[in-house]
Amino acid sequence: MIFFIGVFVLVPWLIEMSGRWDYYYTLTSVALLSIASAGVWLTFYIGRINIGQGAYALAGGYLSAVLVTQYEVSFWLTIPLAGLFCAVLSMLIGLPILRLKGVYFAMITLVLTEVAKLTALALPITNGAKGIVSIPLPGELSVFGMTIIPDFSTLENVKLAFYYLAVTLMVICFAGMYRLVNSRMGHLCRSLQQNEELASSIGVNITTLRITAYAISSFLGGVGGSIFVAISQSIYPTSFQVADSINFMLNVFVGGLGYVFGPMLGTVVIYFGWDLLFQTGKFQLLIYSSILILLMLTVPNGLLSLRLFKWNKEKK
Amino acid sequence: MSSENIVMEQVLVNGLYLGMQYALIALGLTLIFALMNVLNFAHGQLYVVGGFITYIIYGKLGLPFFVAIVASGVTLGLVGAVIEKFLFRPVIRKSVREESTMLLAAAIAFFLDAIILLLFGEKQRGVPKILDGVMNLDFVVIMPYDRILIAALAGSAVVTFILFMQYSKPGRAMRALAQDRIAAQLMGVNVDRYSMIGFALGAMLAGVAGGLLVSIVGVNSGIGGPVSIKAFMMVMIGGAGVISGAIAGGFILGMLESIGLTVLVAYGDLTYLVIFVSLMIFLSIRPQGLMGKPWG
Amino acid sequence: MSALLEVKSVTKKFGGLTANKDISFTVQEKEILSVIGPNGAGKSTLFKMISSFLRTTSGEVLFKGERISNLAPHIVARRGVVRTFQETTIFKSMTVRENVVIAHHLRSKTNLLGFYVGSRRAHTDETEFRRSADEILEFLNLSEISGELASTLPQGHLRALGIAIGLATDPKILLLDEPFAGMNHDETMRTVELVSGVRDRGVTVLLVEHDMPAVMKISDRIVVLNFGEKIAEGTPQQIQQNEQVIEAYLGSEDDSIGL
Repeated sequence: MIFFIGVFVLVPWLIEMSGRWDYYYTLTSVALLSIASAGVWLTFYIGRINIGQGAYALAGGYLSAVLVTQYEVSFWLTIPLAGLFCAVLSMLIGLPILRLKGVYFAMITLVLTEVAKLTALALPITNGAKGIVSIPLPGELSVFGMTIIPDFSTLENVKLAFYYLAVTLMVICFAGMYRLVNSRMGHLCRSLQQNEELASSIGVNITTLRITAYAISSFLGGVGGSIFVAISQSIYPTSFQVADSINFMLNVFVGGLGYVFGPMLGTVVIYFGWDLLFQTGKFQLLIYSSILILLMLTVPNGLLSLRLFKWNKEKK
Repeated sequence: MSSENIVMEQVLVNGLYLGMQYALIALGLTLIFALMNVLNFAHGQLYVVGGFITYIIYGKLGLPFFVAIVASGVTLGLVGAVIEKFLFRPVIRKSVREESTMLLAAAIAFFLDAIILLLFGEKQRGVPKILDGVMNLDFVVIMPYDRILIAALAGSAVVTFILFMQYSKPGRAMRALAQDRIAAQLMGVNVDRYSMIGFALGAMLAGVAGGLLVSIVGVNSGIGGPVSIKAFMMVMIGGAGVISGAIAGGFILGMLESIGLTVLVAYGDLTYLVIFVSLMIFLSIRPQGLMGKPWG
Repeated sequence: MSALLEVKSVTKKFGGLTANKDISFTVQEKEILSVIGPNGAGKSTLFKMISSFLRTTSGEVLFKGERISNLAPHIVARRGVVRTFQETTIFKSMTVRENVVIAHHLRSKTNLLGFYVGSRRAHTDETEFRRSADEILEFLNLSEISGELASTLPQGHLRALGIAIGLATDPKILLLDEPFAGMNHDETMRTVELVSGVRDRGVTVLLVEHDMPAVMKISDRIVVLNFGEKIAEGTPQQIQQNEQVIEAYLGSEDDSIGL
């Protein structure tokens, strides 16, 4: 509850007070990236190292962009469509590659990210390296003539609108994830993570469960990507690439693998860290990566290893 | 002779030439993987550093090409040893899951990317041709001499490496280590020392490959990631951690690329999509790659 | 009376190597049947084929007259043919009780969506599973350690936990993979009692083992493999007097036959 008031009331109020409008964009990005990261987290939860989320974010983004610009589909409809498209795509791709484990799965998902970029460059519908630009802002969403969300271009503060959109979706996403992890399906996912052979010997259909989890993961990637496109009003083959896929993985790691809200925490830490370093100019990447290396040297098991320890003690 | 024939033979020669380079890159990656179970994301970046060293020594300072290649190899060997001793070793010791090393490797890749960018900028760099002239076999196969030389050098590096692994004492120790870390330890193999040597050797191979290729395709600071990805593909085709697999993977990818770029040229650059889809189908039938041990 | 499980001329080849050659036998309801043989006789290959963790090269395995070989392992488990593993295969970072509760998965009638939304049936299932898990833990003398993390258990308890996981799936026939391997005499005797108890619950048991004294004590019937082929089948008494069996065991260097 505190969290709700915090993100929906307190944060906008603070931003109004400080006049730092750019923070809306930052926070919106954090919310969207944490949705995609939540997907990555779920694949980790079934015991797979997923470095391919960039591919689905890109696919979802392109699907939304193409539908909005070329077929005049409402943006609001393209959000679930992008998610579903990515889910179906990931089922096709997942069927063979989910049989791989550990480093092998990691490698092939990384390759997948690169392939998504090359595909976007090669296909005519994605318009190659030039990308798709000047995508209109989201229009009105109305059900039975009732306006639920007004046309974004009529709003005086589009940034705030996107912020609310992203944060709402983030809340829904993490509520759903929380439910999932604490449901029996979550327990089954955990059984999969720990031992697939044993899971199948107690009658768990590991293929279906793996694919379901991967599809949900990719769904979230597609949703995140589609909204990102609406905010930047453009998409290029390089909008999501290997570095982004690695960053999604980093978010999950930094936040912690055992904790469902970990990806959110990790995204906040990493994104703000990266943003703060912006002032260091061309040394940004150098300092950022040095900090990462130092982090790995000092807490190789993730920030969560500190956090989880405390949390466990509280529980007792 | 029909025109199609001419194309195909040229394509095969190009494929062999590419495969030779690729095998050299994949070998280093697979060696590091076999010894330490580390997926070295930074492999492409090591390759780029090697390229820039040769660019400076041969291209800028005007010293002989051979000196530049040796310098690339030696420097990268040292870099590899340092990375293993001061970064991977402590992390492997302390961490509880294999993903940690993967993250560390990703962070090192970012770090090297940043260094490369700061030192060398974004521009594409090339060096003067090391050999002029073109070998022309009745217009069936046309091959510039410099490419032939580079392929030969790469080939001899691969052969030297295999002989080293097969017959030298460190080579044997490393093979024992790759097969069973604990058994090797019991047999008295100094695991720390040979892990370091292995990592250094893997990095050296990447450096030599970068140095050799700078004379043909040049180098720029952004290609580290894509090179790593190609190396991953080769390793997966051949089977991770297997030397013969890496070589086979290198040649197969080189050949596929060469054929794909010729045949699919009309459809835009879809080669990699096709290669990836084939790789996926292949892996679903044979998850351990051509020559790998079944995982589990 | 037809057999519960029927192995019909099953053969397995790995490349040029024949691991199992034309093996046939049947398991009757409520009996304990052991498959024994020296190391490398093809016991574990056969075991994996019966539980469908490996495909057969030829031949088939029937359960209640229906083919179960070459299906997915989880489908075979759903039919009631459930295997256990040797000690390392458990859900390591769950508690003992969680291990057994999750293994009740098969008894649940809800689908994935039901699991997710937490339908009423999923809820009553869950309560029932906890009760049943506690009963199984009690039965296997694991009650005191039900809250401990599975990864911290000693070997004897791990073996019992493996059996508990198997029982939780409500199997018709339980396949035990070397349940006595690496145990000392006392532990073996305790486990022998557990396995007899499992049969007394109405579960048929097929086990693969090379601890001869334990097998002789527990089995109703025994099938002996050597070099991938069945060389004998019969009651413990018959097996003890079988010339071929004695030869097979004396021929292999250090496997004690325990006669």
